[in-house]
Amino acid sequence: MPVLADIKEAITRELEGLALVIGWGQGYDPVHAVPFFCRSSADIDRLIWNPLCVHNLVSYLPKLKGKKVGILCKGCDSRSIVQLLQEKLIKREEIVIIGIPCRGVVDMNKIQALINGKEVIDCSFTDKTITIKTSEGKQEASLDDVLAAKCLVCQYPTPIIFDHLAGAAFSAQRPAAAVDAEVKEIEGLDIPARLAHWERELDRCIRCYACRNACPLCVCRDHCAADARDPHWFSQRTGVNEKVMWQIMHALHLAGRCTDCGECERACPMNIPIQRIRRKINKEIKELFAYEAGVNPADTPPLYTFKVEEPTIKESEW
Amino acid sequence: MRIGVFVCHCGTNIGGMVDSHQVAEAAKQFPHVVYATDYLYTCSEPGQLQIQTAIKEQSLDGVVVAACSPRMHENTFRRTIERAGLNRYMFDMANIREHCSWIGEDKEANTRKATELVRMAVAKVANHAHLHSSLFDVNKRVLVLGGGVAGMQAALDCADGGLDVILVEKKTSVGGRMAQLDKTFPTVDCSICILGPKMVDVAQHDKIKLYTYAEIDEIKGYVGNYTAKIRKKAPYVDWTKCTGCGLCMEKCPSKQSFDYHNEGIAVTTAINIPFPQAIPKKAKIDPAYCRQFTKGKCGVCAKVCPVKAINYEMEDEIVTEEVGAIIVATGYGLLDIGELGEYGAGRYPDVITGIQYERMLNASGPTQGHVQRPSDGEEPKRVVFISCAGSRDASLGRPYCSNFCCMYIAKQAILTKDHVPGVEVYVFYIDIRSPGKGYEEFTRRAQEEYGVQYIRGRVSRVFPQGKRMMVKGVDTLLGAQMEIEADLVVLGTAATAAPGAQELAEKLRISYDGYGFYMESHPKLRPVETNTSGVFLAGACQGPKDIPASVGQGSAAASKVLALFSKDQLASDPQIALVNERRCIGCFKCQDTCPFGAIEERELRDGQKVAHVIETVCQGCGLCTSTCPPGAIQLQQCTDNQIIAEVEALCQAWKQRS
Amino acid sequence: MPGMEAKELRVVGFLCNWCSYGGADTAGVSRFKQPTDLRIIRVPCSGRVDPLFVVKAFMEGADGVLVSGCHPRDCHYAEGNFYARRRLEVLKRFLPFMGIDPGRFAYTWVSASEGARWQHVVTDFTAQVHALGSRRTFGEGGAGNAGTR
Repeated sequence: MPVLADIKEAITRELEGLALVIGWGQGYDPVHAVPFFCRSSADIDRLIWNPLCVHNLVSYLPKLKGKKVGILCKGCDSRSIVQLLQEKLIKREEIVIIGIPCRGVVDMNKIQALINGKEVIDCSFTDKTITIKTSEGKQEASLDDVLAAKCLVCQYPTPIIFDHLAGAAFSAQRPAAAVDAEVKEIEGLDIPARLAHWERELDRCIRCYACRNACPLCVCRDHCAADARDPHWFSQRTGVNEKVMWQIMHALHLAGRCTDCGECERACPMNIPIQRIRRKINKEIKELFAYEAGVNPADTPPLYTFKVEEPTIKESEW
Repeated sequence: MRIGVFVCHCGTNIGGMVDSHQVAEAAKQFPHVVYATDYLYTCSEPGQLQIQTAIKEQSLDGVVVAACSPRMHENTFRRTIERAGLNRYMFDMANIREHCSWIGEDKEANTRKATELVRMAVAKVANHAHLHSSLFDVNKRVLVLGGGVAGMQAALDCADGGLDVILVEKKTSVGGRMAQLDKTFPTVDCSICILGPKMVDVAQHDKIKLYTYAEIDEIKGYVGNYTAKIRKKAPYVDWTKCTGCGLCMEKCPSKQSFDYHNEGIAVTTAINIPFPQAIPKKAKIDPAYCRQFTKGKCGVCAKVCPVKAINYEMEDEIVTEEVGAIIVATGYGLLDIGELGEYGAGRYPDVITGIQYERMLNASGPTQGHVQRPSDGEEPKRVVFISCAGSRDASLGRPYCSNFCCMYIAKQAILTKDHVPGVEVYVFYIDIRSPGKGYEEFTRRAQEEYGVQYIRGRVSRVFPQGKRMMVKGVDTLLGAQMEIEADLVVLGTAATAAPGAQELAEKLRISYDGYGFYMESHPKLRPVETNTSGVFLAGACQGPKDIPASVGQGSAAASKVLALFSKDQLASDPQIALVNERRCIGCFKCQDTCPFGAIEERELRDGQKVAHVIETVCQGCGLCTSTCPPGAIQLQQCTDNQIIAEVEALCQAWKQRS
Repeated sequence: MPGMEAKELRVVGFLCNWCSYGGADTAGVSRFKQPTDLRIIRVPCSGRVDPLFVVKAFMEGADGVLVSGCHPRDCHYAEGNFYARRRLEVLKRFLPFMGIDPGRFAYTWVSASEGARWQHVVTDFTAQVHALGSRRTFGEGGAGNAGTR
């Protein structure tokens, strides 16, 4: 059975007991998917599933706590569910998870480059290719060329947690070492070069907080410390310092929690490579505490616990 | 805000290395500061009056004092501003003495530093809020840990003051070190004769509940409301039945057990009562030596016990006691003499420790008070004492003085002369420390009246020479090498922290120093308090001290507890965490990390669950504040905004520097 | 303001009240001489130190930041420094990634009795920061638009 039919069948079975099912629907043109809330059986046919379904829908879940909802999730998205469960921010019995093994979603910037501002009439996929029909003709590209960077290093293509799995499970196809490639690239620079890198990249930040709003683990929402007066961490100044401070705050609040879904970077309107900031912390956390966020609902995030003896922490010798 | 800044000179303590006047002048320029001045001694009465006058005349609503450490005088000045009608928490201190004038060698740099510290304190006070204490009930029972002379004194004073006392002793009998001593200096009183009645008083006092052969498993809670889990170790004898008749000891076939009371210079039976005056006088089996435990068969004591008190299946029992305060009087330990290889201690039987010698001198000791060489039982003709064995020795990590060795060596030297007619006694010493009342006279008596030979110098080596021990040292007054043949060598062994002192400190959440002795709250002014409210110290657990000092501290600690319990309710410290319910997202990460379980769930009217701080349980550590992602829970008096304000104020100062 | 001593750098320390602040007091009482660069902020517990305070200090121009608490197992609040150790270790490994030299941040444990150790820590850390010199922070001079500061 095709995956989409599988998804629809599962929803048809479950919908009655659910307030809604969060999935993806088509946006304003054939290359744009949008989150879609499916509330009745009439809505089911409007659901789509293809590599355009870039959004991590889990971001909606904490706000829906108290309602029983269904959710569609890819492998990467499922880690956010696990992490939220770990932190008791959502309840397992309140969600029905329809997991979808995923071969990758697109990077919309790469798609935009392909379309180059023309009107899109149709978009179709095969296992290896994407074909976009525009007002000026047909464009075909290899899927690997348009996939999001995170998908090219994907370690969790099949959801970790699900009630229904739509399609066949498969294991990671990409080498694990690739995840940290971007981090290592920066680690290869000397300190002034790293400073210059972030100065250059982060100076573009407009502090729109799209990264935060897209983040499935940023559950504070309207109460984010970045917007508050008490505590008053940020001024109205627009210097790069404040921008760096914001990105570090986001990354540190996610330390041991970030599931590497990449929504922050995808949402960034200034195309700042901010995921690698989180990845650096993920890397250190993994090295220190042998811990990866969002893979085991029974884990405790490492910064909310401790060991009396920490064999991996070597303190300065004073 | 209208903040006043008062910069202290502390005589020349600050004034000598910081230009206090210049600091005050600079402070006038800081935001919110409407008044700034400097004064010779701000903590003096006129100094405090100056603050109070300024509060009224300048309508101040916040005060910064730049002086010594807030750990010294924060409370002093809080009371000062309270007397002038300000909320006592509208105050902060800049530490320009301990952290500035006393450590920096450049007056100009110090002055700049002091100015910046004041600027930070001002920024912090500008973010202060009025805080108010609330009252909570006190459980007027006190737990005393340690049944030595200090602990017993504390227990008796508390009990006589009307408090219920729980006394926990590790050994089976109370008495502690003093019960091991033969005589006490400088009066040469019989130790157990003066201690015995106290031990009986403790046992018979209807306000004292005694747990001997017991230890602390866990302490939870806070001043006024502690919960202690006490482990009553299994003596394998039912103490409700045991009459202390001693028949079991007579018949026990395992007669080679280590005798702890006699410090191993004798052996005892596997089931034993440690000494005749033991209180309670109850038998205990040492399973390391008992044949029933080591070989699985014997049962002699069970057969002979007239009251059938023996129970080999007995297990430890945990009891829980609720108390409002704790007095720690766990005493001291003695250096493992194996560390003193150059003296042959532990290798040669005729080199013994002072406490072993004390047992030998004691009429109820293993030799009935006869002085004998452990090797052959002969009476020694020459005895050599070596003081500072392991103390005042940085190479052994113990640079401190063990306090009482000089005195007990003088006492033992005198007693030796009394016990053994014609004996020669030598004492190697570094300095004779005899600063107590009647002490100097006593050491003089040992030398002048009893003819004890005092040799100033260190012993380098002790080694056997035929039947005798050769003591090789140097007389630093004569500048000559010394060699003395001795029949018996007695070491004035270093006093150390009691074994397990650190683990207990961790349970009590009190501090200890580098040697394991417990830290008092202030070395001069708060000698029996700790930094954990409701926990007090008495005796040698805080540092080596002799009997009168220990007894004095026992009484002092008791008076502190009685003063604490003189009120039915205590005022809580309002410097605790507070949840801004409008900002709390109900993630309860604060609850997960709070070490005290001080955070509970509260449901708002709209059904949303938020964190709520239980006022009396919160200890004010602020771990929750740094855990809370939106910063909805804030530690009062140390909020994010206050610290951010300090950092920003410092940054402003840095910018003006360059 | 007194005259500037060009050598003095911008160093800030977050010290727990019970151990390290006391240790710094003990060092003062013992007149253990120390460099004058450090400015101490008193917090109740090293567990109170939000790593963002350290970041904030760097963003505000600090050349070095030091955090000091009670030795593990000896926390006045039982567990605060255990959490601090994890958080600060992650921070320590992370800051260099953002372009802050690893020598500019340190955390350690000093008890109230360790005046000599405190002297040693301050002296060494200050020397370490001096070896790196004054720090250029984000937006100062180099690439990028410094914004309106």
